[in-house]
Amino acid sequence: MTDKILIAFKSIGKNKNRNFLTMLGIIIGIASVICILAIGDGFAHTVTKGMGNHNTRNKVILQWEPTSDYNTDGGFTQNDASVLEKVPGVDHVKLASSIAEAGAKVSYKTKTASIGLNKQPKNLKLVKGTYFTMTGASNGIYISEDLAHKLFKENAINRLISVDGTIFVVQGIYHISNMNYRPDAYVSKTIFKQLFASQISRDQAKLYVQPDANKKQVGKTAVKRMKAMGEQKQTGKYSVSNPDAISKQFTRILNDITYFIAFIAGISLLIAGIGVMNVMYITVSERRKEIGIRRAFGATSSDIRNQFLIESVVLCIIGGVIGIILGYILVSIINAFLPFKADITSYAIILSLSVSTAVGLIFGFIPSNKAAKSELVGLLKEE
Amino acid sequence: MLKVTDVKKAYGKFTVLEDINLEVADGEFLAIMGPSGSGKSTLINILGLLDQSYTGEYLLEDKNYQNVSDNELSRIRGDQLGFVFQNFKLLTTYNVYENIEIPLIYSKKAQNNKQELIADVIDKVGLTGKEKNRPSELSGGQQQRVAIARAIVNRPKLIIADEPTGALDSKTSKEIMDIFTKLNKAGTTVIMVTHDSEVAEYAMRTVYIRDGHLYNDEKSVKNHD
Ligand SMILES: Nc1ncnc2c1ncn2[C@@H]1O[C@H](COP(=O)(O)OP(=O)(O)OP(=O)(O)O)[C@@H](O)[C@H]1O
Ligand SMILES: [Mg+2]
Repeated sequence: MTDKILIAFKSIGKNKNRNFLTMLGIIIGIASVICILAIGDGFAHTVTKGMGNHNTRNKVILQWEPTSDYNTDGGFTQNDASVLEKVPGVDHVKLASSIAEAGAKVSYKTKTASIGLNKQPKNLKLVKGTYFTMTGASNGIYISEDLAHKLFKENAINRLISVDGTIFVVQGIYHISNMNYRPDAYVSKTIFKQLFASQISRDQAKLYVQPDANKKQVGKTAVKRMKAMGEQKQTGKYSVSNPDAISKQFTRILNDITYFIAFIAGISLLIAGIGVMNVMYITVSERRKEIGIRRAFGATSSDIRNQFLIESVVLCIIGGVIGIILGYILVSIINAFLPFKADITSYAIILSLSVSTAVGLIFGFIPSNKAAKSELVGLLKEE
Repeated sequence: MLKVTDVKKAYGKFTVLEDINLEVADGEFLAIMGPSGSGKSTLINILGLLDQSYTGEYLLEDKNYQNVSDNELSRIRGDQLGFVFQNFKLLTTYNVYENIEIPLIYSKKAQNNKQELIADVIDKVGLTGKEKNRPSELSGGQQQRVAIARAIVNRPKLIIADEPTGALDSKTSKEIMDIFTKLNKAGTTVIMVTHDSEVAEYAMRTVYIRDGHLYNDEKSVKNHD
């Protein structure tokens, strides 16, 4: 077998230019296949990861939105929650907030500012000070660089500031990059709960549904009841929030792109296949003398068919390998523009090589068969 | 070795061979002579199992091959027969060694000692040192030696040569004929087409073709005229 593949390489090498042009279609086709699969896989990976976080499977989220920008306080009350719990299919209800931070007024001497504030996260990178998890009713506070600039001319560490009338000691300063949203200040978990949590409007009601419930129906009924009985129905609107909406739209765009690339891949592979068939026809008619000689010295007609089939497959696999490399380069470029990482899996490589092999076999078959079936005496008259 | 009885071959209405009767014994060296277009190549194509479309009976070693599978025909061609064609018929993009190797690729006979066999026949035809050369880098006589080496590398019982000296000068022709004589002495049956009566002298026996008919001596050809 290896010697037969070597013969194929040799024959292909004899017509490098012609064969390279033939391979172009396969190269483009396979590169497209690699791109499609990489984008698809990368996206599926991201979405499923995101799904894990949302865990929207067993719940319907109701959203309250204020009708006016000036009146942002409001949302769902405990009464609303009990009403919602009676919606058929609902197991239990939890109220939550889509905005996880509380608003507060901060002042230092004569300067004041309105800020958003939250309980401290586990880890935070500081530009000044040291970060640690504050316990109990600690009055430490971490503030953003921007806020520090607003309040202090210079060193802010260990200065005392008032937040909604309570005094805090600045423990550290952190930077907010454009990429990451952060509130303007962090306080300890306990303090946040005691002083600020109640301010956060509960604008979300999470309806945990029973396993067999129809989520759509539950959402509809819940919105209807809130419209009728919701305590904040005057100041805001109720709706079912759909955390998948963005990703759905994104999927649609991606699907369009994928179909487009798949279309290109299909067309290139078809054209490539026809090119392969053409070049194999040319090869076979150019090498009638060789076929005759091989036949006279013991080659069976299936030996001849296999020789040309192997040649056609090797041609396509070389094209496929170049296509995979080109695909890899393209995917690296595409990755610079995508919000997730497109990945070339071993599955994509195996599929590409299989497709190349299939193109070689399918489009090489008729010419190879022609070579195998040619009449021997006629072949031996060729010079 | 072989027996031909009443073989007839026609292309449509055009009859090339008619009433051919011929018997060749094991170890014989037969020359076939005749003018151009008389059907010499046509006859030896039949003898060499390259052409199956004829009527009449042809037995090679008492076996009729007219209706056997392509696989079996190919195996016999590869293992039992050796061809030397008109105009050498070498693969121009392969070197001497690779040209001679061709019959071994398809034979089950020699898989382990390929190199040995090839070196042996290269030595026999006097081409040692030319293994890596392409046919275009060889003289006509040397190319014909490659063709002979290729024909004998699988140790065939029967060698069929079509005008082996057709393209060569008389000195080179003699060297080539010496190789055939040696092979024949070693036990190989040789059937050779030639139109050169000097070359035909090397054979034990000569038959003549004229207008598709086979004659056993030149006199009968003349009588026919
Ligand atoms: N495929 C074919 N179709 C029709 N006629 C053919 C075909 N092949 C050969 N012939 C005819 O058969 C006749 C014998 O041809 P063949 O090749 O056997 O001649 P030859 O004796 O070998 O001649 P030369 O010495 O020139 O090689 C010729 O007249 C040729 O025109
Ligand atoms: Mg001839």
